[in-house]
Formats: sequence, structure tokens, C-alpha cells
Amino acid sequence: MSNNAFFHLLTLLLFKQRSKHIGAVLISVIIIFLLSAVLFLSSSIQHTLYEILKKQGDFTVTRIQAGKPANTPTDWINKILEIEGVTDVAPRVYGRYFFAPRENSFLVVGIDFFDPQNTQNLQRLIEGIDLKRFLLGDNMIVGEGVKKFLQSHYFTKDFTFKMPSGDFKKVDIYQTLPKESNLIANDMIVMPIHLAREIFGLDENEVTDITFNVPNKAEWDNIVTKLHLLFYDVRVIEKREIKKAYRNLYNYKGGLFLILYLITLVTFMLILYQRYAMVYSTERKEIGILRAVGWSIKDVLKLKLYENLVIVTVSFVLGVVLAYFYVFILGAPLLKNIFLGGANLANDVAFVPVIEFGILSSIFLFYTVPFLAAVLIPAWKIAVTPPKEAML
Amino acid sequence: MTRAFLTLVALLMLLTGVVVGHYWLYDRATPLKRLGQIAALTQIVSPALSVTHAEPRVLLYEAASNPAYPQLQPINRMDFVYEQ
Repeated sequence: MSNNAFFHLLTLLLFKQRSKHIGAVLISVIIIFLLSAVLFLSSSIQHTLYEILKKQGDFTVTRIQAGKPANTPTDWINKILEIEGVTDVAPRVYGRYFFAPRENSFLVVGIDFFDPQNTQNLQRLIEGIDLKRFLLGDNMIVGEGVKKFLQSHYFTKDFTFKMPSGDFKKVDIYQTLPKESNLIANDMIVMPIHLAREIFGLDENEVTDITFNVPNKAEWDNIVTKLHLLFYDVRVIEKREIKKAYRNLYNYKGGLFLILYLITLVTFMLILYQRYAMVYSTERKEIGILRAVGWSIKDVLKLKLYENLVIVTVSFVLGVVLAYFYVFILGAPLLKNIFLGGANLANDVAFVPVIEFGILSSIFLFYTVPFLAAVLIPAWKIAVTPPKEAML
Repeated sequence: MTRAFLTLVALLMLLTGVVVGHYWLYDRATPLKRLGQIAALTQIVSPALSVTHAEPRVLLYEAASNPAYPQLQPINRMDFVYEQ
């Protein structure tokens, strides 16, 4: 048979029997779409977090009391500075403020704006900010999620914090953090360090924890030992532990979907196999007719292979393209809640497109091989039986 | 039917082209720059997980607690599966 005639018959079979193929294409598109969307989302968040992680200090030190993190004394800063090889020691004051009426919480971060590095960072983040005016009164800069939440609760200009002493502190909303920072700053409130201390009831000589860098990686284990010799109630968190935590968190969630995918895939392949292997199926008659008019087994298998290869390719492209639009253009509504949660403030994140081509080709391979096997094995079984028996 | 098939192929190629175009032309620098700036300012890189007050918002730094079952770890932590 000439190639043109074969191609014509192939397209004829595909389009004339489209009602037969449309079910398989639809199910395939849904399975590939769901898996690709989850993997796109997981890769995008992981990739972005790894990029930002470079900005965090190599080590974080916090005081432990009764097995729980406690406020860290500021005199630890000088003691850490004395350790050889340590740079960029910075205290952090942060904590969650619980808004009881709606059971929501914000992450309040206190920044020491007397440190020129911090003022520079703020000016880079919010271009044109009037720092003098900002530091003059009790002001705060809020994340997009916080702003929307406060506005919906009629706190349009300021918000009143309830302090541990029972007093109230009114803080003005000065500005909003850029929308692009929503992935980490959606529920964040940035304010001067003294204000954060007041709201959390921290003393002047207390911070939440201390971060620092050790540029020489070969020294890392040595530094941890020195810290444990210096303080007995200390917990040291390394940057590599945080990286591992992120990887575990998102691999676990992606892995859950992978298990669901495998279950769905096996079920779908069984259905396909059953359809072709059925005694009175139309496929059986079709193959019988082709064999009766003189087609060889090889020709029949070639036709079935190409026919199903087209179905798999069309489904794969449609599934992946739909997943891309859903995640990177629509922002993965509903699905993002699995990765970022949905119990607190709504987070409107624009995910940075990241496609791992290795994963995409694996999906294609792991989908194509079982799909073709589920169709070609019964087709071959029919093709080797005499045409008369096959058409019975 | 060959024409219909070729139209389908062209349509799929167009869709793939749109995706490839968006992927290459997407401005990755601005969001990464902004996120880097906020991380440099606050020294906090944990994603803004929209979790209940009992669950940790800043990963690894906050202990999880559940008022009903104090020992029960939130399922997304899975410390019992993955080695810390």
C-alpha cells in the first residue's frame, strides 16, 4: 500500500470514527492536564523559593525553652560576632498577630530602620517611599492580602492592635507591598522594630531570632559545634535544612497526585484493553475485514499504532497547553490552595513559568507506552486469528 | 479528511507556539527581584502559607499545635515520613 493511501485511510478512520476516539481523548486530556498542572505548580513554587533562599542568612539561631522557641537575648549577637568566620549578623523580630473576630492571622515583621542596609532594601522594594514620613509616626506597610482583608473589615486607613498588656495600639497603613512579592509577603505587615516589639510585648533586649552568614561552607559544621558550646539552650537552623523542608513539602504534595495519576492511568488502560479485547467489539470486526482484504498483520498493527499515536499526541499537547494556561495565566484557581493553603487570607499569586522538560517527557512516555500496549496487544491477538473467526 | 487532519496539526502547533512564546517572553526578572528584595529586607523566605493559627506559617521556625490533639502533626508536615 502506498504511503498516501495509508495516510488517507488513517485520517479517514480518525475522523469518521471520531465519536469512538473522542472519549479516549477527553479522558486522556483530563488526566494529563491534572498531572501537568500539579507538576507545573510544584516546580514553579520550588524554583522561586530556591531563588529567594539565596537571600536568607546561612544560619538562624533561636533560644529554646521547654523544647519550644523562646525570645532570644540581644547580647547573643555580640557573642556570635566574636566567632571567627561569621558575617552579616542580623536580629529578627517577627510573629503572628491573631485577629480573633475572624480567626485570621498576619505575620508582623519588625525591621531596624536605623540600619542603613535595611533602609536601602526598603527603598529598593518600594521606589519613591518617603522614609522620613514613614518613620515619623506609627506606620506600617502591609501585604496585598492584608490590605484586602483590612479593607473588607473597614480598616481602610489604620488598624488597632491589641497588645499583651491589654492596651490598644493604632498603627496607620502607610503603603502596600508590591503585588509581585505576594508569594512570601501576602499576609505580611512590615513595621519599625520598636513597634513590633511593643505589639508582641518583647523587651528592648529581646529578639525573635538571629540570622548570620558563614561564607566558607567548609566551616559550617564547625560553627554549629561552636554555637552549641557557647549556648546550651540554642536551636541552630541551617539554610540547607530549610531547602530540604521545601523540597519535602512540595514533593510530598506532588507525590500524592502522582499516586492518584497512577491509579487513574491503570484504570483507564484496563478500560481500553477491555474495549479492544471484547468478543463482539467493532475493532474486532474492523481488523477482521482488513485481514480478509489482504492486509498483513504488520500492516494492521502499523495502522493501529499510528492511529493511537495521533490520539495520544493530540491528548498530550492539549492537556499540557491547558495546564499551562490554567497555572501560569489563570493563576491555578482552587489547585493553588493545595500548595499554599486556603485557611487564612486569600493569596493572589502570579506563578513564574517553570517547565521541567524531563518531567514532561516522562509523562509522555509513561502515558504513551501503557496506552499503546493496551491497544496493540489485543489488536495483535485479533490480527493473528483467522479473519473468519475474528468477524464472528 | 487529510485536510481536516492537517488543520488539527496546525491548530495544535499554534497552541504550542503560543505557550512557547509566553514562556520565553515572560518577565521573570521583576517578580524574582521583588521577592528577593522583600527577603533581603525581612530575612523571611517562607512562602505565605494560608494556614490556620495552629499551623506553622514560617516553616521550621514555628511549632505546630492543635488544640484538640496537641500531638497531631498537620498532614502537610509529614515529619514521620521524611527524615528531617
